[in-house]
Amino acid sequence: MIRALRQSMAWIHGWLGLVAGWLLFAMFATGTASYFRPEITRWMQPEIAANRTAPADAAAAAVRHLQRVGADDVQWFIALPDERTAVTRVFEQPKPAAEGAPRPRRPRAEELVLDPATGDPVAARDTRGGEHFYRFHFQLQLPYPWGRWLAGVCAMFMLGAIISGVVTHKRIFADFFTLRWNKGQRSWLDAHNVSAVLALPYHAVITYTGLVTLVVMYMPWPIVANYPQPARFAQEAYGLAADVEPTGRPAPLVAIAPLVRDAERRLGGAAGRLVVSHPNDAAATVTVTRGNGASVAARGVSATYSGTTGRLLSASAPPGAAITTANVLLGLHMAQFAGPALRWTLFVLGLSGVAMVGTGLLLWTAARRRPGATPFFGLRLVERLNIATIAGLPLGMAAFLLANRLLPAGMPGRADAEVAAMFWTWGAAALLQCARAPRLAWRDLFALGAVAFAAIPIVDALATPRLAAGDPLFLAFDSAMAAMAVALAFAGRRAARIPAAPVRRSARKVAHA
Amino acid sequence: MLMRRAGSGAVPPARPRWRIRPAAWAMTARCITAFLGNYAFAATATSLTARLLPIARVEATVWAMILSFLLYAIVGLWCFAEASLARVAAIVWGGALLMGAAVWLIGVRP
Repeated sequence: MIRALRQSMAWIHGWLGLVAGWLLFAMFATGTASYFRPEITRWMQPEIAANRTAPADAAAAAVRHLQRVGADDVQWFIALPDERTAVTRVFEQPKPAAEGAPRPRRPRAEELVLDPATGDPVAARDTRGGEHFYRFHFQLQLPYPWGRWLAGVCAMFMLGAIISGVVTHKRIFADFFTLRWNKGQRSWLDAHNVSAVLALPYHAVITYTGLVTLVVMYMPWPIVANYPQPARFAQEAYGLAADVEPTGRPAPLVAIAPLVRDAERRLGGAAGRLVVSHPNDAAATVTVTRGNGASVAARGVSATYSGTTGRLLSASAPPGAAITTANVLLGLHMAQFAGPALRWTLFVLGLSGVAMVGTGLLLWTAARRRPGATPFFGLRLVERLNIATIAGLPLGMAAFLLANRLLPAGMPGRADAEVAAMFWTWGAAALLQCARAPRLAWRDLFALGAVAFAAIPIVDALATPRLAAGDPLFLAFDSAMAAMAVALAFAGRRAARIPAAPVRRSARKVAHA
Repeated sequence: MLMRRAGSGAVPPARPRWRIRPAAWAMTARCITAFLGNYAFAATATSLTARLLPIARVEATVWAMILSFLLYAIVGLWCFAEASLARVAAIVWGGALLMGAAVWLIGVRP
């Protein structure tokens, strides 16, 4: 019974891992990079200095700017800066076109990037920054909603692979301490086990919480069963105030900075976001939400004020157990609460996830290779896809960062060009490697990746003065890039070596794939 | 693994073609059940739970939603651990149908 269960779990573990493995590798890699999303953005916009403005003053400056450019908007959404984010980001929801006029397809919110201190639009190179890796991590560069669904399926396969992997695993504690180098397939299995078992709680939590981030999309049916109007769910779950209609009577907006300071006192943490509804109308409201740095639970609490009198209208009630659980799960995934030490720890754990998926994919081919025999089609296909993903993706990510420094700062459409650089590089690497024997293809792509990552700090030092000035962010970022280069060079050296003699035990016993 | 079990006993090196196909069909049916049928099962099970739990509806809804993935993962793996495809299909598709009907009959929470 137990034996049969283990066998079936081993079988499904291998297939789940294989089918979703390549995308999971990319999701783990870009997701791990996203722990430093604001830092990557700041590195990619070296023109912008670190923020020194308090949230309340930044809010007041942003509102001053919005009063000039969009005084009759329906809503202003203001994301305030903090120690990690250097700019204020603002979305305007403009008034819909008048009746009869040809309707634009849903007014799209235009994002403005403002200087926190002055409220003026910042002049910096156009880039997606860390947002690009973050979005790719769960949208896979596909149109909505397909990318998110595909990412969800991969995450679900990952969850299935984790559970079945644990069931398969007979000696989970012994494997904690087992890593046999240079033993061919046995080493890959050991490496897979060590990377998986050491960080097992992390992998399980990050996979489950990843699914929870998009639960309303993946599993909306409980809402349908409980709410005649699903919009009510969002109000109850997120503690949003019901929308109010504008009166049409103009009324001046109160001073924003005192409201934000009051909200920060009430909410017990720095303000993170600000929503102004119907500014300059008698029915205006200002909602201040606490930033995510203040607690593990994401979706901070908020307070809503009248926009004309500054009176407190409502404050979000403490959420129930289920909402709190969901917010904590969400917060654990996004890790915005984490300080530098914990953030680096999570980054390393994320890399262990990359290693686990990568070694699992390599194990699949190692377990099926027979010495002397011509590899069958599936084996060759999997091997090429492994090379394209494991060795090709880092090269593409390096190309994205290099493009940021090498493209002219004022070039039109440069943000898209950076993204294109990543995918063209990755795609070209994936295709061109097919012309080489697998072992040489591994070596060449890893070597190219090492060169590309090594070039990043050099190009950065030549292109911007921040590294030379000893800016800690730039020092840390460029050191991390150098470390990546060393790691890839090491991988390339290993890949170039003649593979070790095959192990004695039969493949079926060793590989649980 | 399941292929081997379907073939049962000592597998001859070259099996006739017609004996492989039913096993392949069975595996396809099993995969579809584990992937789609299981989604219907999880969706209806969590909807029914959310509808019937005697706590505030927002709490019932969120508990059901965040536990849905665990249910989906476990039932999905069970689809491959259980030897009888008939039992897998009956429980997953039948369960989804029954619970879906129950949710529909009870109606939305007032």
